Amino acid sequence: MPGWFEGVFCDLGAAWAIARKDMKIYYLKPSILVSSLLFPFVMFLAFAIGRNAPPGTLLPGLLAITLLFSASSIEPVSIPIERRTKTFDRLLAAPVSVQAIVLGSSLSGAIFASAIGVATTAIGLVAFRTGVIHIVALLLGLALTSLCFSMMGTLFAAYRTENVGEVMSLLNLVRLPLLFISGVFIPLASMPAWGQSIALLSPLTYAHDLIEFAFDGTTQFGPVADTAVLVLAIIIFQAVGALLYQRSRE
Amino acid sequence: MDAIEVIGLTKRFGDNVAVNGIGFQVKEGETFGFLGPNGAGKTTTIRMLTGMTGITSGRALIHGHDITRETLAAKRLMGVVSETSNVYDELSAWDNLVFTGRLYHLGKAEIQRSARDLLDTFGLSERRHEPAEGFSKGMKRRLTLAMGLVNNPRVLFLDEPTSGLDVQSRRLIRDVVQDLAQKDVTIFLTTHDIEEANVSCDRVAIINRGTIAAIDAPEKLKQTFESLQSVEVSFDTTRPGLLEALRALPQVNDVRKEGDKFRLYTADPPEVLGSLCVFAKEHNLRPISVTTLGPSLEEVFIRLTGLSVGMKKEAGGTDAGLV
Repeated sequence: MPGWFEGVFCDLGAAWAIARKDMKIYYLKPSILVSSLLFPFVMFLAFAIGRNAPPGTLLPGLLAITLLFSASSIEPVSIPIERRTKTFDRLLAAPVSVQAIVLGSSLSGAIFASAIGVATTAIGLVAFRTGVIHIVALLLGLALTSLCFSMMGTLFAAYRTENVGEVMSLLNLVRLPLLFISGVFIPLASMPAWGQSIALLSPLTYAHDLIEFAFDGTTQFGPVADTAVLVLAIIIFQAVGALLYQRSRE
Repeated sequence: MDAIEVIGLTKRFGDNVAVNGIGFQVKEGETFGFLGPNGAGKTTTIRMLTGMTGITSGRALIHGHDITRETLAAKRLMGVVSETSNVYDELSAWDNLVFTGRLYHLGKAEIQRSARDLLDTFGLSERRHEPAEGFSKGMKRRLTLAMGLVNNPRVLFLDEPTSGLDVQSRRLIRDVVQDLAQKDVTIFLTTHDIEEANVSCDRVAIINRGTIAAIDAPEKLKQTFESLQSVEVSFDTTRPGLLEALRALPQVNDVRKEGDKFRLYTADPPEVLGSLCVFAKEHNLRPISVTTLGPSLEEVFIRLTGLSVGMKKEAGGTDAGLV
């Protein structure tokens, strides 16, 4: 087996081990599961009250927000805690690359958010008596959006602190504005020109567009472009995250 | 080939030089103690050697693998036991070991065999499926050490392994470490417990303010400081001014009162013994006990790190082993 291939194989194995560990410790707690499942319904109420739109049309936006928050909420908490308890040192001392640490930490969030997304979709489809037009686009949307925002959370957790509040404050500085500039609350067409320009920089814009295409076939950029941008965002978050974690140990 | 080779290792944090160009070699199978006061650079050194922290300048090789350039190859050869018992509290002892084995890319069968053996060795088998959060401090420490051994390392880094533990856990860990040393595992041990270093280590390095003050075998280091030999005397009575009077005796470098005893530091104990007899007669004192003592590693440590309060400067002595 060539050396580089063995290296990649070992890194993927280690990343999967980290993801399984995080799932067990952080994601499968009853309190986290219950609050994560309730979150979309709270968001739905916030969404639906005072709006005249049929509830079924709100599902893509609701799903995009659910994926954003479910995927990006745990690692920014768990990594500072692991720094404080020094369990993060175990990852730094092991024969594991920083890429594997970033990927492993993000994978757990992505799997969790995808599962919450599937549950939200299933309940939404039944409750709103609506359907999915493009199932592949929906599955891609769920998986890529979850991984993208999980990596964003892991990236913010690279900020070298043991204080959870510091990371969450920084993350919310980015996460909350994303909701308003990505076409989730306000349709892109209703935004001013400068708002539409900023929206192009947000991965949530493309995630929402892809999910909307899956449900009702309407799209602003096309599913291929949406997928390409989300993949690009994942690659950028992974690369920048690995760089920041590498720097934080120097 | 040396198990650990350190060349001009330096670590800076901004303007602060935490470790300043240190160098040493540790042979395969050697137990090497790394002593120093708080803030001396022990933990920074261990973090650099284990690849947990970057190196500002210099090199560190683990069995010939450069920790900066061949990080993963070097890390595969080592086990690391941190000063803190950094186990995952939410996981069971078994899951902690399995997770560590996966991080070291071991196969399923190898992980399970290693985990079973280590749980037996460290007396944790009966509670292997319980979350570690319910473990005592000693049990967590034993689990931490077990996690450092899952990959059967050739070099084991131990940061204060027995600090603050009960006697039973302390003895168990000490026995396991001595057993590993007999199996040619190289052990790099940092400790505050100088007696532990004295009985466990083939050689010790004393680090102070980021630089190595001395490296040698414990007994050789003790011999380095002839004037740290001492005569301990206890009189039937004590009186004001006795300490100063004893200090004025010929060949006495320093005197310390330790409980009901006086400890007279000297390079020539027989000469001081003679002077003491005359002194006792002149001052109408009756010696209850008199003992001559060699220097302890603790005294060498204190002298080298300058932690002593009021000790006179070393006048003589060889400089063998001093850096």
